[in-house]
Amino acid sequence: MSQIEEIKADDARTEEEDWEEYLKGYYEKPNSFKTWSGLDTNEIYTPGDLDREKHYKEKVNDAGQYPYTRGIHANMFRGRLWTKREVVGIGSPADTHARLKYLAEQGGTGLNTIADVTYEMGLDADHPWALNEVGLTGVNITNIKDMETLTKDIPLDKVSWSLITAAPSATATMAQYIAVAQGAGYDIAKLRGSVQNDPIHFGYCGFKPASPLDLALKLGCDVMEYCTLNMPKWYYTTVNMYDLREQGITAIQEVAYGFGIAMCYVDELVRRGLHVDQFGPRFSFYVACHIDIFEEIAKIRAARRMWAKFMKEKYGATKANAMHFRFAVHTSGCSLVPQQPLNNLIRVGYQALSAVLGGVQSLHCCSYDEPICLPTESSHLQALRTQQILAYETGVTNVADPLGGSYFVESLTDKIEEKIEEAMAEIDSVGGMYEAIRTEWLDRKLEDEALLRQKEIENGEKLIVGVNIFKSPMEEKTPLGVQRVAAESGQQQINDVKEQKRLRNWDKLMVTMRKLRDDAVAGKNTLPAMIEATKANATTGEMIGTVREVHGYHYDPMEVIDSPFDFS
Amino acid sequence: MENDKKIKVVITKVGLDGHDRGAKIVVSLLKEAGMEVVYLGMFNQVEDIVQAVVDEDADVLGLSYLSGEQLIFTPKIVEEMKKNELDDVLLIVGGTIPVEDIPLLEEMGVERVFRAGSLSSEFVEYIEKNIKK
Repeated sequence: MSQIEEIKADDARTEEEDWEEYLKGYYEKPNSFKTWSGLDTNEIYTPGDLDREKHYKEKVNDAGQYPYTRGIHANMFRGRLWTKREVVGIGSPADTHARLKYLAEQGGTGLNTIADVTYEMGLDADHPWALNEVGLTGVNITNIKDMETLTKDIPLDKVSWSLITAAPSATATMAQYIAVAQGAGYDIAKLRGSVQNDPIHFGYCGFKPASPLDLALKLGCDVMEYCTLNMPKWYYTTVNMYDLREQGITAIQEVAYGFGIAMCYVDELVRRGLHVDQFGPRFSFYVACHIDIFEEIAKIRAARRMWAKFMKEKYGATKANAMHFRFAVHTSGCSLVPQQPLNNLIRVGYQALSAVLGGVQSLHCCSYDEPICLPTESSHLQALRTQQILAYETGVTNVADPLGGSYFVESLTDKIEEKIEEAMAEIDSVGGMYEAIRTEWLDRKLEDEALLRQKEIENGEKLIVGVNIFKSPMEEKTPLGVQRVAAESGQQQINDVKEQKRLRNWDKLMVTMRKLRDDAVAGKNTLPAMIEATKANATTGEMIGTVREVHGYHYDPMEVIDSPFDFS
Repeated sequence: MENDKKIKVVITKVGLDGHDRGAKIVVSLLKEAGMEVVYLGMFNQVEDIVQAVVDEDADVLGLSYLSGEQLIFTPKIVEEMKKNELDDVLLIVGGTIPVEDIPLLEEMGVERVFRAGSLSSEFVEYIEKNIKK
């Protein structure tokens, strides 16, 4: 009698069919031994998988030691916990400010605001296309007053603020932040924080018209150059590997393509005459942590080692912190599903754990309702609490790189490094990342990969609870309610912007806009002129539009409004 | 409908929403299921979308929303469809949609909402069984 027959015989009360199902479950094995990105794994890893003596010295080394595989600081979280930085952006600048303060009061340690789609596109709140969209996915900052409202009563010299504007309009964001800080009497050299400012990647977030490649490189590097020379504590770019990953690529491609874009910026900064030792210490990245725990940790370790090597060997960095791969993590939004939404809390918990075990500098945990709506106050708080439980209860902060030396994790780190190198070689074979983007090679790649990822779920190769296994009937309501953006909130912003435009001194504005245009024509850094223009109440759309025109693009990415300025 | 005619579907993003990964995947999966699919891409206004449905003589219109605009744009699209007498076009919505919005969208005239995490087996079968032409 087989085991199954024995168990069946033990209980004659149960229906035959139910038992078949139950026993299948009882003897169940994992359906795959591949990582989420498709790498094979062995049953067990042993000392034989590593040449440990040579391996440790050359490839791993202690945390704080080149090539920084185990972390960029010797003592990691003993020195300072990661920054608990939940992304906020909802409704008007005032609404966003209120949520920001709420999270800070609950123990959030880094401020983090995100642009809405209109602001990313470089559209003022009164743009015809902005009408129904202001504040739906973040905050729109059109003029200096909006930035004043956003930052009201917050001591900018004490906080660390992360400004998430990725597109060319990140130049306007920096101009607005600097203008407000200078107006309030702060020394900008002392400001701490970051701006995402990764306009090249932004073309891959669906916003191509706002991010033509040449303009993206030009304006992105204007911010990087200006901050390097004037704001030594400011992280002037956060190369967004996360968004690329969310398009459906693998962990390996995430790093390869992210590095490709990062090196477009590094090459341009070097071309402008800066040395990596000058700007390298404030280069940073935004990384995804998807659901495969060990793969994500190994990916981060491999990225840290590879970036250090690139900076040292390819670009000649000599300062340690110019070789550091500093990164924030955004837990994976696309791994979350609306089916049985509370399960997302668990997914986010695992992903946050992998970020911390990977040695993260700053963390945003998705709210469980990420695939449903903007976070409610409760779900936002829950995401912050997820971080706090990790930081204060679990003990994961005690030891730097606790998985270092694991036969498996070290082997996987090596394997992922090798695969990233292959993916980077593929980019080189099409002429480098700039060409890969210009020729739309990268677009095709992202589309093909996204479809592959979906098919892996469709055919059951990858399992997602509530989607292709353990399904339940649809829930009747969203557990902690639904966040709505009040229509009045956007309308108020639109009205305010119109009023501000009406009240400003046109002659003063024209002087600064003429300077901006002249600087753009002369190929100078546009940020100083944007700062002065912002002080004269120039708007995001006006500043970015004026530079767009100089570069031969329509003033308006949507091509429906014309420049209000006559420069003749 | 006759067996030899392919089901024709128009898929579109609405307004400024730039999250197009899902829409593009749906386009590919519908094509693989044997349907003829016209993808309008991003940055479409209400009138342009409905005009495309008229021009293409489509059986199905699929709207993709991931930025929370579903309650703003859908009624406008439904109204524009009524103006063009498109009551025989199956209107479906996909994306990040709260369950609370599903009855609201259905009341507006949407026939079915497919949230993130839906499988092609679900929406292909639904379309095949429910086209009105």
